[in-house]
Amino acid sequence: MSRIGVFICHCGENISRTVDVERVALEVGKLPGVSFSTDYKYMCSDPGQNLLKKAIQEQKLTHIVVAACSPRMHEKTFRKAVEAAGLNPYLCEMANIREHCSWVHENREEATVKATEIVGMMVERVKKNRVLPTITVPVTKRSLVIGGGIAGIQAALDIADCGHEVILVEREPSIGGHMAQLSETFPTLDCSQCIMTPKMVDVANHPKIKLYTYSEIELVEGYIGNFQVTIKKRARSVDEDKCTGCGVCMTKCPQKKIPNKFDQNIGMRTAIYVPFPQAVPNTPVIDRDNCTWYKTGKCGVCQKVCGPGAVDFEQQDKLIVEAVGAIVVATGFDLYSIDEKPKGSPIKGYGEFGHGKIPDVIDGMTFERLASASGPTGGKILRPSDGKEPKQIVFIQCIGSRAREKGISYCSKVCCMYTAKHTMLYHHKVHDGQAYVFFMDARTPGKSYDEFWRRSIEEEEAVYIRGMVSRLYQKGDKIVVMGSDIAVGVQVEIEADMVVLATAVQPQKGAELLAQKLGISYDKYNFYSEAHAKLRPVECATAGIYLAGACQGPKDIPETVSQASAAAAKVMTLFSKDQLEREPIVARVKESGCVGCFACKKVCAYGAVEEKEIRDRQGNLIKTVAFVNPGVCAGCGTCQATCPSKSVELDGYTDEQVIAMIEAL
Amino acid sequence: MPLTSQPIDTSIYSAITDAIKTEAERILTEGQVTAVVGYAAARRKGSAQPIIITEATDAAKLIFTAACVNNLAVYLTKAKKEVPKSGKIGIVVKGCDLKALTGLMGESQLKREDLYLIGVPCAGVLGSTVQPATGLTTDTIAPKCTECDAHLPTGCDFVPLQTPVTPELEQKYATEIARLEALTPAERWAYWKEQFSKCIKCYACRQVCPFCFCEQCLCDRNKPQMVDTTPRPAGNTAWHIVRAMHLAGRCAGCAECERVCPMDIPLNLLNRKMAKELKELYDHEAGFEVLDKGPLNSYTDKDDQSFIK
Repeated sequence: MSRIGVFICHCGENISRTVDVERVALEVGKLPGVSFSTDYKYMCSDPGQNLLKKAIQEQKLTHIVVAACSPRMHEKTFRKAVEAAGLNPYLCEMANIREHCSWVHENREEATVKATEIVGMMVERVKKNRVLPTITVPVTKRSLVIGGGIAGIQAALDIADCGHEVILVEREPSIGGHMAQLSETFPTLDCSQCIMTPKMVDVANHPKIKLYTYSEIELVEGYIGNFQVTIKKRARSVDEDKCTGCGVCMTKCPQKKIPNKFDQNIGMRTAIYVPFPQAVPNTPVIDRDNCTWYKTGKCGVCQKVCGPGAVDFEQQDKLIVEAVGAIVVATGFDLYSIDEKPKGSPIKGYGEFGHGKIPDVIDGMTFERLASASGPTGGKILRPSDGKEPKQIVFIQCIGSRAREKGISYCSKVCCMYTAKHTMLYHHKVHDGQAYVFFMDARTPGKSYDEFWRRSIEEEEAVYIRGMVSRLYQKGDKIVVMGSDIAVGVQVEIEADMVVLATAVQPQKGAELLAQKLGISYDKYNFYSEAHAKLRPVECATAGIYLAGACQGPKDIPETVSQASAAAAKVMTLFSKDQLEREPIVARVKESGCVGCFACKKVCAYGAVEEKEIRDRQGNLIKTVAFVNPGVCAGCGTCQATCPSKSVELDGYTDEQVIAMIEAL
Repeated sequence: MPLTSQPIDTSIYSAITDAIKTEAERILTEGQVTAVVGYAAARRKGSAQPIIITEATDAAKLIFTAACVNNLAVYLTKAKKEVPKSGKIGIVVKGCDLKALTGLMGESQLKREDLYLIGVPCAGVLGSTVQPATGLTTDTIAPKCTECDAHLPTGCDFVPLQTPVTPELEQKYATEIARLEALTPAERWAYWKEQFSKCIKCYACRQVCPFCFCEQCLCDRNKPQMVDTTPRPAGNTAWHIVRAMHLAGRCAGCAECERVCPMDIPLNLLNRKMAKELKELYDHEAGFEVLDKGPLNSYTDKDDQSFIK
């Protein structure tokens, strides 16, 4: 026989204003099985919880109903209190008489009746509650970081510095990401490479970091604490163990006119190449699409000149499986390609700005490469078309961003600041030049950010024109920029030598495919979604997977680095225990009724359902049934709703409990 | 549309019978299968019944006629114990029966490699076996055969080389569904309430359905009791709605439920209506292709959401 205790909270006046709590306590006290009922002003307060604990001991209570606010608010609080008093926490249920009753009703009499019924339902439900033991899952204390930009590097270093092994996977031949492409960084104008490359070298030298470059994630299986990740290591055609990074192969390669992606295709590279001189690892890769040997079967010069014999034309892609306990996703961003409308995308292009047609209309990242000392022009600002120094330069902001009609409604966040930086870099390098900026408004919150922007206008002579550009066209060797200055209310026409477009920040191409492999959610732009916008900003809804950097939304470097360290801290929190504790609200299969149709397996969004063979003592197969892995199950209940024979139930939400609640009404 | 009853040509059935006998004898002799599930003549003249043979000498018993109405797929589901558990099983299938087998493969109940499929080119079978010796005509043909799109099963291991010829017939279920859809919801509810009120809860529809393969039907559960088990209106309605919903997106249209119903409840009419909804909403039709996920177990962002109001 159950001895149920019912505790009714006034919630200050939140509940007691509309509900006669004393009468509810009196009424539910008469229900069969209820041996104690009382009310208190603040049940969640220390005295309230002590009242509950004391009653459990003195009245020898077996089940508890707390009638108060939403279980999302205080279920954990009361289950902890119940556990402290010696009961299994899952023998405590909450009846929500605040959000579901007092807050939404005015009539005291009716609200009191309704509150009594809500509590009565939970009394019937709690009678069917079972003791549920906490689930413990072992944790593999190694982590995977996907993406070797500044976010991935920072997260990997932080985790590795704590003594845990890190697998860092990068798609490109070198780590470094977009930050390695930048010339100087705002708001201090320190050289990006100077602050980035030491970190890259730290990664390469760290005994706890295993680096896979030119590699991609093929498959992710498992769950928090126990992931199995298959990594596809693409054939580099160069043996990493033998290569000394001397670079002779690159100097001898006859294919020298291949646009280098790292230099935004304005610089050239060879077919065997490292994307940039400070690359980590400093091991070249052969671009098989452009290599003479792969195209014609002849040449092989690099192999001949390679002293240690590292060039290997026969090298194959390799699949490597790594076991990890946590995953940090740091895949970063890509710049919006404005000249063409991406196929099948709701995003419209900006053909009117001539990007891709007029050679001297470039995007912000290309300007970074022009300004970079290690870039294709050695840091001189020269036009791509004829190599002349532009004397009039126009920057246009918000290309793609904040334009709902073009398909992207968000602000890309970094463009205001980097355009201000560009005007300064330009002014430092072309003293007699003039920079103009067309802008909607300047968004410069952040430490020393607004001062930086003001400096570009007040000290570095950039002319800011508030208004948008309507049209650009080539006229001789000039680009005519037509726009309006809405502050003055006049039309503006500038004959520019070069135009720089601040294009929108987008997730990496194929970001949604990786999300599907990982089982994490993403928004309509394919940015990855955090579990809670404010309170869980670095965690995914899928346990054990964390986000860092611009893959989640546009971010600048300081923010990215902060988030990467935050994600690392989350990983370390997970790794601080040998066993992970999980809520036992998970699905359980009744094997006697299961006929193995595996509808549950097909609908499970978490991959928690497995096939299990049931054999007799002789080892003959009797049947194959579904098995829910409690370590993976998120307790969503979709399997329960799908099972045709009702052979899978969610603990804590069984059909028996739900029907008991309905019958109590 | 023919106004008077016209005979339907079933002359190919004797050649099919011979081909089935030869093939069954061969696969049993060669040990390719441990048993063959097929049809044999029953006691009354012209009648047929299911048979499971395990000896090559019994292959001569196999027949195919217009009285071979049963969907033999039901003998392969887990709830049925007559068929040997080990080895490959041969089975005689009409198009509609093959759709059921296909569905069962998609639901992990059967494996294609465990089956030897003997497909039957079928011009149609009788609607009722009360008079099994009756000739097949536009009047006596089963209503399901008037809407059949699978006279010739495909993807089988063996199909006799015959081409069934069926005249264009009035689609009986489509006509009836159109009539019901024209009614008001209240009238339609009254119609079904009347139909369900006839139910005596004999569960013949459940026993004969290849898709009712659960070892313990949820309608037999008593802790908690999901459906009232006595033949009273509330429980009857609950049972028939559970049955229809559980078959939505799965039913192969063999209409065995309707054939065996002693109270003449138009069960396949309800199944066809559900099938029509599935076709309209999710572009799904039962066919010969094994689906990994049925239409109600999969989700895409293109799914119709107009029902959310």
